[in-house]
Amino acid sequence: MAVFRWGQAWDPIRDLEREVDRLLASVSLSFQGIRVGRQYPPVNVYEIEDELLLMAELPGTRPEDLEVLVADGVLTLKGKRSGAEGITDDHYRRQERPRGDWQRSLTLPALIHEDKLTAEFTNGVLRVRLPKAPATVPRQIHVADGNSG
Amino acid sequence: MSNEIVKTTVTPQGSNVDPPVDPLVFTPPIDIFETPDGLVLLADLPGVTLESLELQVQDNKLTLFGRVHHDLPPNARLIHQEYALGHFLRSFILSEEVDHERVTAKLNHGVLEVFLPRLPKAEPRRIPVTTS
Repeated sequence: MAVFRWGQAWDPIRDLEREVDRLLASVSLSFQGIRVGRQYPPVNVYEIEDELLLMAELPGTRPEDLEVLVADGVLTLKGKRSGAEGITDDHYRRQERPRGDWQRSLTLPALIHEDKLTAEFTNGVLRVRLPKAPATVPRQIHVADGNSG
Repeated sequence: MSNEIVKTTVTPQGSNVDPPVDPLVFTPPIDIFETPDGLVLLADLPGVTLESLELQVQDNKLTLFGRVHHDLPPNARLIHQEYALGHFLRSFILSEEVDHERVTAKLNHGVLEVFLPRLPKAEPRRIPVTTS
């Protein structure tokens, strides 16, 4: 017995492995990337010697639709994912991939060299390199004796 | 959830980027839509390259398997994690209405696009009926 049906006249693909899973998990049916209460896109951050590397998975985003901005210690990632052109919703048999405009701002630690930040986008993965600024030497502040003179 | 991406004073214990012995495998999210000529399947496979992607049709089963290699230096230390790393695997049953021989695919910005053309319908054959 088919547990899951496309419900349309043409029924060419059945996703066997997920059928039962989906029924069992239908209450918490959520898509990778857009989970309730989660920010999009999810990011990972690595520390590699004197720089930080931020990685974000953004499959299907065109490089021209992706913006990486930095100002006042805040890194802002902005972009959009469009659906297939000329395809209306009633042509979809299954729609799990997130789409639409998104934006996320992340507070950078103070020790980042903002003007030396670089970003590259390959195979749907964004990598932003955040070089650490050298630690500043504490500056001694002379305290004048207010009682003298 | 905080947008504070780095807690600079805290050093997490035991976090590293050594590849796990048994890497995680995820089910990628997909879209399937219909066109006049067949079906198009889109799957999100961020980090998968042409070389690391296997796509095969065997009998009536279409399987995609994408390996993700992160190319991180060995001294990279994971200090903030919101998504897990792993490979992507998903398979589908193709109906007889799909022309298995003409399935094509391309990979673009981490998205696999598989075109599943519809088999041309056989023309109805007129059967002459005679009276005896």
